[in-house]
Amino acid sequence: MGTTIKATSSTGIRQKDVLVCVFQRGGADGLSTVVPHGDPNYYLKRLRTAVPRPGNVGGVIDIDGFYGLHPAMKKLLPAFNAGRLAFVHATGLPHSSRSHFSGQAFVEAGVTSTAAINGGWLGRHLASTATSSDSPLRAISVGASVSAALQGGAGPLAMDGIAGFGLGSLQQTPYADTLSALYQGDPRYAGLSEVAFSAMDELKLANPSRYPVSNGAVYPDSSLGTRMAQAAKLIKANAGVDVICIDSEGWDLHINLPAYMPSLLSDLSSALSAFDVDLGARMNDVTVLVMTEFGRRVADNSSSGVDHGTAACLYALGGGVRGGRVYGTWPGLLATTMANGEDLAITTDLREILVQCAARRLGDSTAAALFPGFQPAIAPDLFAQR
Amino acid sequence: MIPVSMPSPTVATSGARRRDVLRAGLALPLLSGLLSACDSDIDAEQRPNPGAKSSTAGGTAPPDPDFHLLRRSSFGVHALSLKALRDIGASTYLERQLDYRSLDDTAVEAAILSRFPLASSAPAVLAAGFPSNSASIVSQLRDATLFRACYSKRQLYEVMVEFWSDHFNIQINKGVIPVFKPYDDYAVIRANALGNFRTLLKASARSPAMLYYLDNYVNLSTAPQENYARELMELHTLGVDGGYSEADVKDVARCLTGWTVDRSINAFKFAPAVHDYGAKMVLGSSIAAGGGIADGEIVLDMLASHPSTARHIATKLCRRFIADDPPAGAVQAVAQTFLGSGGDIRSCLRVLFSSSEFAQAGDAKYARPTQFVGQLVRALNPSLTLPPPGDTFLQSLVSLLGQLPFNWLEPDGYPDRAAYWATTSGLIARWRIATYAVTSGQFDLSELAAATTPNRLVEVAAARILQRPLSGQDRDLILDWLYLQSNLTPDQYFEFTRAPWLVALVASLLISSSSFQYR
Repeated sequence: MGTTIKATSSTGIRQKDVLVCVFQRGGADGLSTVVPHGDPNYYLKRLRTAVPRPGNVGGVIDIDGFYGLHPAMKKLLPAFNAGRLAFVHATGLPHSSRSHFSGQAFVEAGVTSTAAINGGWLGRHLASTATSSDSPLRAISVGASVSAALQGGAGPLAMDGIAGFGLGSLQQTPYADTLSALYQGDPRYAGLSEVAFSAMDELKLANPSRYPVSNGAVYPDSSLGTRMAQAAKLIKANAGVDVICIDSEGWDLHINLPAYMPSLLSDLSSALSAFDVDLGARMNDVTVLVMTEFGRRVADNSSSGVDHGTAACLYALGGGVRGGRVYGTWPGLLATTMANGEDLAITTDLREILVQCAARRLGDSTAAALFPGFQPAIAPDLFAQR
Repeated sequence: MIPVSMPSPTVATSGARRRDVLRAGLALPLLSGLLSACDSDIDAEQRPNPGAKSSTAGGTAPPDPDFHLLRRSSFGVHALSLKALRDIGASTYLERQLDYRSLDDTAVEAAILSRFPLASSAPAVLAAGFPSNSASIVSQLRDATLFRACYSKRQLYEVMVEFWSDHFNIQINKGVIPVFKPYDDYAVIRANALGNFRTLLKASARSPAMLYYLDNYVNLSTAPQENYARELMELHTLGVDGGYSEADVKDVARCLTGWTVDRSINAFKFAPAVHDYGAKMVLGSSIAAGGGIADGEIVLDMLASHPSTARHIATKLCRRFIADDPPAGAVQAVAQTFLGSGGDIRSCLRVLFSSSEFAQAGDAKYARPTQFVGQLVRALNPSLTLPPPGDTFLQSLVSLLGQLPFNWLEPDGYPDRAAYWATTSGLIARWRIATYAVTSGQFDLSELAAATTPNRLVEVAAARILQRPLSGQDRDLILDWLYLQSNLTPDQYFEFTRAPWLVALVASLLISSSSFQYR
């Protein structure tokens, strides 16, 4: 079996981006991330958890006079200023659930009700852009389990570390052949085993471990940092990877947000920045999206935390991102402009962004049909057509 | 792709080819000693082609009912337990397991008490040494949990302890939770795992570890904290489609204001000063103003006996014991029993295990990591000899496979569906562990090594590890592999004590095979 460098023309130029999809589990608060410091109501609603105005101790890093980044995100400034990083504020999916589990399921499927769930949005994208020579490493969750977003696409992998994804000295021996054959008659797991064996062999051939971290990038010593570093190696190895899903955990800050948010944002920003630096020019062929199941309620609670809300903030990083700005219409924080009188209103349907990303960066000619029952209308002009 | 058929045995008669295979094996550190001990011996033996092997069509036959019941109601089939079950009959076995206190477990409990004393220590004791004792508390509670899962005679009880530990999930590494999770384990989960759901729910609502985990300890009248109230309805009782609204979440949170932890005594307390004494409306029922702690009690009673709760708990029980997508008939029967018995967990299990849906669900579940490790230990250590103190085998294995007890971050507990666990990474990790386990010296394989023909080796190994008949097809595949490695035909005399690596890898193949991944 030869190495299959997919999505690559005969000249070795990729025809589409590798998508890295980072999911902030728990419902990340967008108001503490890309802070609307120019909206005085932010400071009236966030009595205990507001990030101070620019110029104050621990204050927001102003980026356009209205929005500013949380100071723990300063490592993302170079990418933002270089035009490779953008944010879309007040984005989400219109549904009424405040459950983490429903919210995650809806975002990963790209639907707004349980009944409408039919595989993951990336699974559908991968299925519609499948070719006969697809690599077994095409869709990877770097973690213990396969992201729900990848369900429905052929053979998504969970790869919890490159080093452990193989049988060591027993790989490609008669022992491995026998083990593979023992699964062939199994009614349930024959397919999974076949995927595992072909992916192990392909990975051994591509040998991503041989690619060192480049350009002096330093990944944080965290699970997210480790996963992002592995993603970079997989991309550098040209092993036919199209989509990588990665989880970032711990965003459910019902209490004491000011104590926890800086380390969460610092970890996320350091990992994204290291990835951007590490890949260097390869970022022209990579798009990173950072999303979450929902944002948090506008007013903070008495324990300096924030309860479940609606709209959140999406990050887009990559050479094909028209970066250096915050997209989306700011809905305002007045009782009359908030959803349910208390939540940040959604002004950009998340699916608009995902459709545009798939169409302009991922070579998906049927992207407009990616979300059943959803008709793309007006998306912010976030991605350049490659 | 992977070759579909085994390489022809004649290829392997070349000594050079076979030594390459052996050398490849040598790079696996734990195998190296075994390999060097036996290489030259077998090299001298040239054997004819193994011609006459019977081949049974099809895969493994469905498990027999006794095996099925034992495997589902335990952390792994154990030879003596299977024999006992066959002797006394399924219903008597089940009743004895349900009456778990009558099963003498003193040896295991004594070992746990002496090795992992922090796992059963009171919060006040643990608080005195906190936080320097934090890592020890966490590790000892995990060890005690895995130790009981593998070695306890009260297997169904331990399975239910795991079930409720997931249902009322608490991630242990958060703030002061290490001080209180052992109490939650023995006073909430273990005390009620085969008892009454309402009692269990009320104990959980007052459990300091839960109050901290879902933030209710700071649920104040001035601005209610919704985290616990929401998960109480979504996860612990009604289920996400159980018929509650956002307004219900808010008013249940108000009912539970003031339910907190008194750190001076390290126990639950109701704090009247921060309770919201106003009137509330929950699930269409009004709760009068001025209620105090009774508000929360009324809500918990309402939730415990709600039909949506019965359906939710029944669905989860049937998912655990029958199938990932549980059959509606069984869910209905268990839910009715739940309602009719006032939440009696044993009554629910009796109905579940005697249902036709259960009987037809053989091999329908994929073993989660704790079950895989339990099956490994209970199959390969038939005397259930306790490991030496300080042994880290169990924790390191479940950690590698991603199911360390009390380590699931979100309040829904470890998933109970194959879709989550049956992954490429998970399967490969099991294959690696299989080889590690049989070459680690952890298990005594002398019974297998005593075999004197390949046929006998495979037969004994399958009986010990799978404890059910091996399909003819699988047996032939393993015999083919043995021939390829050693040129031994199936009935040829050979003392396998001379080739422990062959014995180990036959065991490893069986542990890695799909039938070992079922529960």
